[in-house]
Amino acid sequence: MASPGGQGGGGALSTRGGGGARRMKWALELSLGNTRSRGDRQGGQGDVVYPIGYSEKPVPDTSIQETDKNLVEKRCWDVALGPLKQIPMNLFIMYMSGNTISIFPIMMVCMMAWRPIQALMSMSATFKLLESSSQQWLQGLVYLVGNLLGSALAIYKCQSMGLLPTHSSDWLAFIDPPQRMEIMGGGMVL
Amino acid sequence: MAKLILLWLKCVVLWAIVEAVFEDQVGKFDWRQQYVGKVRFSHFDTHVQSSKKVLVATERNVFAALNTRTGELFWRHVDKTGSEGNIDALLQHGQDAVLVVGNGRLLRSWEINVGGLNWEVVLDSGSFQSACLVGQQDMVKHVAVLKKTAISVHYLSNGHQKWIENLPETETVDYQAVYSDGNGEVYVLGVVPHSHIAIVVYSMEDGEIIKQVNMSVEAPWLYNIQASCVVVGQGMLTCVDSAGVSFYMLDLHLQLQMTQVPLQSLALEVDPGFHPVLLSHQPNPARQPLSEFFLQLGPDHYQLLQLNNGQIAAMRDFKPALLVSFATTGEKTVAAVMSPKNKTVSKCEIERSLPSRPVFSSRAFLHIACSVNLFSAETGRRLLDTTLIVNMDPNGGKPEKLYVQAFLKKDDSVGYRAMVQTEDHTLTFIQQPGRVMWTREEALSDVVTMEMVDLPLTGTQAELEGEFGKKADGLMSMVMKRLSSQLILLQAWIGHLWKLFYDARKPRSQVKNDVTIENLSRDEFNLQKMMVMVTASGKLFGIDSKTGGILWRHYLHNVPPNAAFKLMVQRTTAHFPHPPQCTLLIKDKDTGLGTLHVFNPIFGKKSHVTPPALPQPILQSLMLPLMDQDYAKVLLLVDDQYKVSAFPSTKNVLQQLQEMAASIFFYLVDSSQGRLSGYRLRTDLSTEQIWEVIIPPEVQKIVSVKGKRPNEHVHSQGRVMGDRSVLYKYLNPNLLAVVTESTDLHQERSFIGILLIDGVTGRIIHEAIQRKARGPVHVVHSENWVVYEYWSTKSRRNEFSVIELYEGMELYNSTVFSSLDRPHAPQVLQQSYIFPSSISTMEATLTEKGITSRHLLIGLPSGGILSLPKMFLDPRRPEIVSEQSREENLIPYAPELLIRTEWFINYNQTVSRVRGIYTAPSGLESTCLVVAYGLDIYQTRVYPSKQFDVLKDDYDYMLISSVLFALFFATMISKRLAEVKLLNRAWR
Repeated sequence: MASPGGQGGGGALSTRGGGGARRMKWALELSLGNTRSRGDRQGGQGDVVYPIGYSEKPVPDTSIQETDKNLVEKRCWDVALGPLKQIPMNLFIMYMSGNTISIFPIMMVCMMAWRPIQALMSMSATFKLLESSSQQWLQGLVYLVGNLLGSALAIYKCQSMGLLPTHSSDWLAFIDPPQRMEIMGGGMVL
Repeated sequence: MAKLILLWLKCVVLWAIVEAVFEDQVGKFDWRQQYVGKVRFSHFDTHVQSSKKVLVATERNVFAALNTRTGELFWRHVDKTGSEGNIDALLQHGQDAVLVVGNGRLLRSWEINVGGLNWEVVLDSGSFQSACLVGQQDMVKHVAVLKKTAISVHYLSNGHQKWIENLPETETVDYQAVYSDGNGEVYVLGVVPHSHIAIVVYSMEDGEIIKQVNMSVEAPWLYNIQASCVVVGQGMLTCVDSAGVSFYMLDLHLQLQMTQVPLQSLALEVDPGFHPVLLSHQPNPARQPLSEFFLQLGPDHYQLLQLNNGQIAAMRDFKPALLVSFATTGEKTVAAVMSPKNKTVSKCEIERSLPSRPVFSSRAFLHIACSVNLFSAETGRRLLDTTLIVNMDPNGGKPEKLYVQAFLKKDDSVGYRAMVQTEDHTLTFIQQPGRVMWTREEALSDVVTMEMVDLPLTGTQAELEGEFGKKADGLMSMVMKRLSSQLILLQAWIGHLWKLFYDARKPRSQVKNDVTIENLSRDEFNLQKMMVMVTASGKLFGIDSKTGGILWRHYLHNVPPNAAFKLMVQRTTAHFPHPPQCTLLIKDKDTGLGTLHVFNPIFGKKSHVTPPALPQPILQSLMLPLMDQDYAKVLLLVDDQYKVSAFPSTKNVLQQLQEMAASIFFYLVDSSQGRLSGYRLRTDLSTEQIWEVIIPPEVQKIVSVKGKRPNEHVHSQGRVMGDRSVLYKYLNPNLLAVVTESTDLHQERSFIGILLIDGVTGRIIHEAIQRKARGPVHVVHSENWVVYEYWSTKSRRNEFSVIELYEGMELYNSTVFSSLDRPHAPQVLQQSYIFPSSISTMEATLTEKGITSRHLLIGLPSGGILSLPKMFLDPRRPEIVSEQSREENLIPYAPELLIRTEWFINYNQTVSRVRGIYTAPSGLESTCLVVAYGLDIYQTRVYPSKQFDVLKDDYDYMLISSVLFALFFATMISKRLAEVKLLNRAWR
């Protein structure tokens, strides 16, 4: 997304400060022709001088309407269902990457595991997003379940790749040699 | 499938390829020392004046030429061991050296310059008696070999037989000597014991008997001609009779009657109980011997005598004189006499007169300086300026033989060098006026047992160790201690830097890097150790494992020739300030009595600790992991009454023993009775037999018993299967592998047996019989496996077999191992392989923690030492490859084991007659130190899993550091550039 100022709002000047604009607390340029940089550029676009407060874009109508409410709801459901929708895709990737341990499958698994965890960590932010919805709790739950499913899938993938220490062999290195109870020696008669 | 196997094999091959050393690593961490053994015959090469060779033929069946300047080998020929290669006689003429080998089986002629074989002939059977060179008209062209029943004469040039004659009356006459003095006749001297002398004279031309004398020459006192007779002057057979105390002389040309000359008439007196010995000299086989000869009258008493017109005249008396020898150069013959220089000899006499009781004391042979003087043989006068001082090693033996190399100096006077052989098999070559040119420790050709001991820490290292060893006493003092030790380290480092700087200014040749006993210290990775070697002659050596230099030597006097040795390390160097301590148990096999020699393995000095006297015959000893208050491990000695005595036996130790007695067991194996028995210690140090296994000695004989090495660690308690479950190893520390061989050696009925038996309970864990197999069996027992090698008489090949023991998928008790509580028998897996060579010895590698994979080190009769990965000897190798076996990295079973040349760890450094391989862990987990000993000694390091914990030798430090620096500067510069650019942009 490009910054809105870049497109050249005629009225708002403060954000587009060059060196000179920063030095002053605020400035209102009444004579546009004096400013070199802007004047040149705007002059290039079309030598139209707008009055103060004029915007080229139409100002949106901010009054709340019934359709907007539905839209918000829909949008919130989108957010909540996002993780669930990813699962088929993940399944496909899982299938494609195979069970061999090499750099790409590992990267995939890492990504698959990391994304739900990240999402779960920023749960509060998501809740804030969903605040405006009426079914906030249901959506939150769906979102949570989706992410949990995603991470379960990742764990399953780890399991099938053999990355989880679930076998006795994974703990073999930690077994200490048993202590000897008897002392024994001897040999052939010299 | 075949493709898969091929691929897999390829992988294995590629994987295992970097086993051998690289060319530039040769000699970097390995060394070899070549020995010849105890010298039996020695001749200086005199046919060229400037020759630097001395020929030696030894009791180890080696014939070699040594460089007299350096003591190194010019060449060496190692014959078969045993009586088959025994060197009976060495004769030298000009460039040829003629050897009679194998009790007269072979006659060989060697060219002594390069050591090439001139010819070899097989002689007719018959036991060898004597040989001599035969000359005619000043030319030596023949060699005569006397056997029990025949005499043969061979051409010296090609070995062809000139003639062979059967000796007359061989049933009664014992022919013992052959003599010739260049007049075209060969005299064969025989004796009818305690009756008379028989002489047969053969014509050199055709072997016709010219004269035969029997019955007429009475000699009832004579039974061994070679021991008591010599030929002197113009064919005068001179004998000495110790009983009658007189000379007997017989003119070989006339053969009339023996004339008796009592020694008293010459005013000579034989020491009581001494058998007098005669020594004569025949400088040229084509001429008559000298008319001067030595008579040894006592252990240190010699007399030079002269035969003049049939009359013996005393020329000079030498007392004290230890050794005498004749030497000839040109036309001059000199007699060299070695006599003790100062009065300390009386000590040595006392020592000699003692009955040979097994006393192993270091005081026995005090420091003696001997002097060698030359005397003119004709006149008996001492030659001026010919004194040579021989400083005898206080830790060596008494001089035994003296070989003198005489040469004419420019002013026509006689100069000489002397080679002294001492009873500890040492050869010392000495030049006037007493400079030792070289010393060869030939005792090392017969190493019996050895240990490797860590070197002591340096002062600073010990300081650090001490810091961590001490108990904590307050935070502040700990900090102070830490600071002070760091300061000491810093100081040492600066000192080291200063030394480096100082040395760098000196020319390279002056910088000495010699390892001496003073500057010995442990290196970073504990790769340098002290090799303590015990030799059959009773001489102990301390050898630096890095360079092979002998750092100390100690000769134990009065060690019986068939003694059994057992060397144990009682205290390592880890217990500073207590000195390390080794104990050598020496057992006389005849009397069964044993003695202990306690010494410091780093300095070789006898310890102040007095070992206990052992009045009872000793059966075995065992080392306990218990320690006394001085950190010496306790040694238990079991005597023939099955009573146990402890060494050291302080109160503390006895108390500990009483507490531990219930858990101390030992076993004894009596091979002659086929009895294996286990004993338990009672609290009063008596023992109780708890089990016994009899293997009937009429059917099979116990050959060897192998337990596990006490310093072996096993890191992994199990093996990971393909399905990621664990197969736990059966790691019984008390397990013994008993090898038996059948007494019946018929190839259809012979067998060998392997018995795995628990040494505590006597429970037989496993028994395997290999039918149609024969020894010698070599066995290695380690971890949970036993590998053994035998000769299969059925298929006529060498085979390896491996037994592995597993507990199963579950551990019975993972915290403690007690043989008394083992309800389940282990799973036993076994597999056999074909090996393309016979082997001499076998040992497994050993590392610090046991993480590194194991290799088998196999000494081959060809002199190679093969490092065979244990992976190839694995009973789980599948016949059909499956997914799981591939997962497990198992090599598909193939019956043949290949010998890959890159597996030879000693590349072209052949180690002759490997008798044993000793392995020791180093401070690095990847590295195992290996010493192979036999006739030669070879030391190297092996890396069974490659050097995973060290940077490689050829690691490019330059490249990596230059890249690092370059990157560092690049970042600095680019940072600066970026700043400048930012600033510029800001200015715009």
